[in-house]
Amino acid sequence: MQERRRRRTILDLIREYIEDIEALSEEFMEPSFVERPSWNARTCCLEPLCSVFVTPDEVIVTADLPNTNPDTIEISPTDADTIEIRAEMKRKIRFDELGITHRKGEFQFFHCQTNIPVPVNMNIIKTEFKRGILEVHIPRKKGYKIKVE
Amino acid sequence: MVETVNIIERKVAPSNAIMLNGLPDVGLVGLIATSHIISELKLAEIAYMDSDLFPPVIVLHEGLPHAPIRIFGNTDLIASFSETAIPADAVQPFTRKLVDWAQSKNVKLMVAMGGMPVQNRQDIMEPRVFGAASNKSLLNMLREKGIEVLKGGYMVGPYALIMRYCAERNVPAIALLAESFYKYPDPVAAAATLKEFSKISGLKIDLSRLTEKGEEIRLKARDMMKRTERELGRMKKTQEYDLPLYV
Repeated sequence: MQERRRRRTILDLIREYIEDIEALSEEFMEPSFVERPSWNARTCCLEPLCSVFVTPDEVIVTADLPNTNPDTIEISPTDADTIEIRAEMKRKIRFDELGITHRKGEFQFFHCQTNIPVPVNMNIIKTEFKRGILEVHIPRKKGYKIKVE
Repeated sequence: MVETVNIIERKVAPSNAIMLNGLPDVGLVGLIATSHIISELKLAEIAYMDSDLFPPVIVLHEGLPHAPIRIFGNTDLIASFSETAIPADAVQPFTRKLVDWAQSKNVKLMVAMGGMPVQNRQDIMEPRVFGAASNKSLLNMLREKGIEVLKGGYMVGPYALIMRYCAERNVPAIALLAESFYKYPDPVAAAATLKEFSKISGLKIDLSRLTEKGEEIRLKARDMMKRTERELGRMKKTQEYDLPLYV
């Protein structure tokens, strides 16, 4: 037997309305996911996977750079809150090696730009490259301290 | 009741088999591991999954269209495998259907292989593998095989639901979770789960090709990882980092 539908009260309607707004705001606030290719055949670049972690003292940017020669990695601040990562692969990768046969092109570089979400001191950048993962440490700019009395 | 997810069988699925599940999750660990098993053991496609909740996607293999979520198998092993991120909205009906189907095939052990994100993954040469199980005797079996059991904490996502529905329906199930990257494809963690699966199942799995192709897998898996990360965010996957409240 079909369950009789409960009549919605004004409170139910308000709750549903709030849930809809929350869902919309979550979608709006989620980290940007731009629908674009992760490659550029014209510049022979692949976009690496990148992450940004903010700790109390520093911002750590990591990038997954498989098949990369560590000597070719270049990290450059492009402005106060952006860094650019560029690296050359050990060998060129053709589209067909990535499982695509209907496109022509080959890739030799990784390239990405990453936004830094808090003020940092771009003059003191430390880097590490372990098992194909690049780690960039950028110290945060210190604000003034408020003394608790 | 109208089914929101369907499994369409192309061949007869075996009974009393072990069923592996390679679903997109952190580090794509289970997906990489299951993909390796499917190609190493040359498992044949036996079924595919369909739902209006899935994205309108097909994958072409040798020019022919395939559903992105498929089930492979031989006489004693079944493997579910997805070539697309499972939408957060579909994860409950999807896993419920998967477990229902497994129960209808008298699956003797459901295995969820996946990753457990750790922040210092770069510093770990050999990821540890932790286990969870749907009942106490399977927990003991994991301990006997030398697998450390996850005693507390949260699991979030498709594997969490597989464990829950299996426990509810008395379908024997274990999860093998290797320390892994969250947002980067992790073939080394996949190899670690396969080593433990091999101990449990007695299946011999050659991991040399997986180890050799690690960098290539990481290159190819970037787009899948990005889309999976987006859906995991919608499932609130980061709750796995939360400390549980037991008063």
